[in-house]
Amino acid sequence: MDGTLPAVAEELLKEIKKAFQETSHGRDTFSFRLKFIFGPSAVPALDLVDQRSVTRVTSPSGRTAYQVLGSSGKLYTCYSSCHFCTCPAFGFTVLQKSESLLCKHILAVYLSQAMGACQELSVSEEQLTSILLAEEEDEG
Amino acid sequence: LCRGGLAERLCRLQNRERSAISFWRHQCISDAKIPSDKSGVLIVKILEMFEECAIQIAICQQLEESPATLSSKDVLISAGEPILKVLFARETAAHLKSRPQDVIHIYPPWQKLLLKNEDVPIIMNTYFSQKVLLSEHSETREKTYGHTKMLIRKNIVSLAQTFKLDDLDDELCQESSDKQVACAPQIRNNCDSKQHPLARSAVNDSLLEMVESQGVVGWREAQVRVVIQRVYCLPAREGYRNHSQGNKPLLSNRGTFCRLCLLVQDAYGMFSEVQLQSLSSADVIEQYCRRWEGKFCCLAGMKILQRTTRGRALGLFSLIDSLWPPVVPVKVPGQSQDSEMMTTDLPPPSFCYVLTVQSGEIHVEVDEEEQISNLYQPPAVHGLKEILQINGRNERCSFWAQVIYLRLQTKHSVPINQRESWLFVTDSTLQNVVHITPKVVAVSVTASCVLSTEFTEALSVASRLVFFKDALWGHGRIICVERTVLLLQKPLLYSAAGADLSELTGPVRLDELDSATQANSICAVRGTVVGVNESTAFSWSTCDRCGNGKLERCPQDGGLLYCNQCSEVVTSPVLKMQLEVFLSCPSRPQSAVKVKVWHEMSCGLLSIVRLDMSTHRYYEVRSVLGKEVGLLNCYVHAITSHPSCVGLEEIVLL
Repeated sequence: MDGTLPAVAEELLKEIKKAFQETSHGRDTFSFRLKFIFGPSAVPALDLVDQRSVTRVTSPSGRTAYQVLGSSGKLYTCYSSCHFCTCPAFGFTVLQKSESLLCKHILAVYLSQAMGACQELSVSEEQLTSILLAEEEDEG
Repeated sequence: LCRGGLAERLCRLQNRERSAISFWRHQCISDAKIPSDKSGVLIVKILEMFEECAIQIAICQQLEESPATLSSKDVLISAGEPILKVLFARETAAHLKSRPQDVIHIYPPWQKLLLKNEDVPIIMNTYFSQKVLLSEHSETREKTYGHTKMLIRKNIVSLAQTFKLDDLDDELCQESSDKQVACAPQIRNNCDSKQHPLARSAVNDSLLEMVESQGVVGWREAQVRVVIQRVYCLPAREGYRNHSQGNKPLLSNRGTFCRLCLLVQDAYGMFSEVQLQSLSSADVIEQYCRRWEGKFCCLAGMKILQRTTRGRALGLFSLIDSLWPPVVPVKVPGQSQDSEMMTTDLPPPSFCYVLTVQSGEIHVEVDEEEQISNLYQPPAVHGLKEILQINGRNERCSFWAQVIYLRLQTKHSVPINQRESWLFVTDSTLQNVVHITPKVVAVSVTASCVLSTEFTEALSVASRLVFFKDALWGHGRIICVERTVLLLQKPLLYSAAGADLSELTGPVRLDELDSATQANSICAVRGTVVGVNESTAFSWSTCDRCGNGKLERCPQDGGLLYCNQCSEVVTSPVLKMQLEVFLSCPSRPQSAVKVKVWHEMSCGLLSIVRLDMSTHRYYEVRSVLGKEVGLLNCYVHAITSHPSCVGLEEIVLL
């Protein structure tokens, strides 16, 4: 993995997943580290996890995507094969300014995975395709 | 925010921490001196800095004491000092305004993170950091740098790689070449085809003649008939790439990019190393050894890579020496074909040609169907006890031993595929003897000893009997280097010369820790607990049925633990802990013995100590003191003499 920060972030998320299996006291230690690495995204991401906002969408062919219900009520799509999210903050903070590794939605996806808080949704191939293509239509 | 949710909790903690940070900073400025409480303070010197996203990353050297007490000229970077990667949040970095060569004091609570596959620890949560100015330089520094903004390199992080939260074994990227059926050798053998493109020309039996006649018309078709004494793999220098990125590091060098090599001998007793094709994996080496060692083979049109001498190729010549003198009389050059000479007076060879195949055409033909040559010297197997008593300096030795424990090198500065590993071995000659020789020997496997993936996988799972062919013995150590071959099965031919090759009966016994114990060995320990190192404790829940340490929490069932190996809820999980205890050992009374315990055997000890993570306090430590522990199997990390300390880690033998 190139870069130091991604490796650190990954290890942290793995530890959170492991720590989640223990008592709730374990979470506090990792909250501090989470805040350090992910900065201002940490609290909003945890809030999204608390509210069970993350859904893993799968299709029969095995393709997956994540949908996150944002605080404004808007549904954002996060890809599973790379770090990408359709929210404007991702475009600005991550892509344009490289100020953050992830946006709060992608972080919420990882945290939900680590803590077993992902909702599951199975859809047809056509439905998944339209989810992945939906943003293009909106902007077009 | 949700009441009682994770976000709300983090918010509260964050607010508390924020006020603590600003209070601390205010205090530092007003005090304008380093606080006297030094415990837990990390002192680092910045070597290099760069940025990733909003985090500033500093590669630092950890210093033992504050350089304010040393003159700046004395502070040299010594090679042995540990290197750290210190992460600073944007706000802290702006406050510090640090540059390379600055010394920073990092006050607790900072956090350390160790990454897999990397030995450089990460230091984070460095909110409480302070730059230390060396008094003599501070004035000049402020003048020259005070107002110049330093430019820091910014690493752009790729978005293409996602995080994997499961560290399961299926992450090992199975390169298809590893799993291939042994690639068809480019060398044909007699039974395969009836055509012999090289059969037309006469067959010679002198390597020297073939080499010296290079360039003469017709030499390309001339063939030499030789005996294959040894088959092994050499690491190919150009192809030495690290394929274990992100993989669990098994033993060093997974056998990729090596060359198949033969050590051949002609009828005059002269040796030559023939380098054949590159292999993508060393898995085929056992097959080639079985099929080819001892057989005759015809070489033609070889290219001379080099003429090497004893002084320049110690490894090669130690192998040649182990095959000297020849076991049958060899011819003498200059005399007629029929007369032969006894071999007892011949001096060992002082030079050797290294040959290689010309690309494209087939130049080596092995007579697999023929009988083993009389000139062949199979490896001479000895018991470990005998080997430890050999007097020589660089002797090749072969033995058959049980591997009971393996240890990988973890030096951060060495890339994974060049690391050494240690196999701890024993056999009946060591186990059945009282005192004098150690019961278990550490065999070092260097990166130049090519191992097959089959071998490394088999060893990482269970204790195996391994045949060590042509390992090197010298200076009191057995090492596996280039030209050593490690096999899971005994070769077809070997000479035992009275060696005791009986299987081990009964469990393996280790030597008990005593005054003769050395570092990098394994031993058995018993003693009484006299102290506990509370800050090193770590705990996790395991399934009480199958021992699975990776339990999941099911939010639907109110946070119960679930084991997916048993596919059932775990109602009474077993809490496993890791802890450092200090023992008083009767077998080594003069030393302080520190043991990191974690295994079930010592769980009786560990379950007494409870861990309260919210207050980071341990209670009931009192009831641990005085408890008897033992026999524990341990690996000896370090032994120091002044003060006399022994650092151990509890291990599980294979």
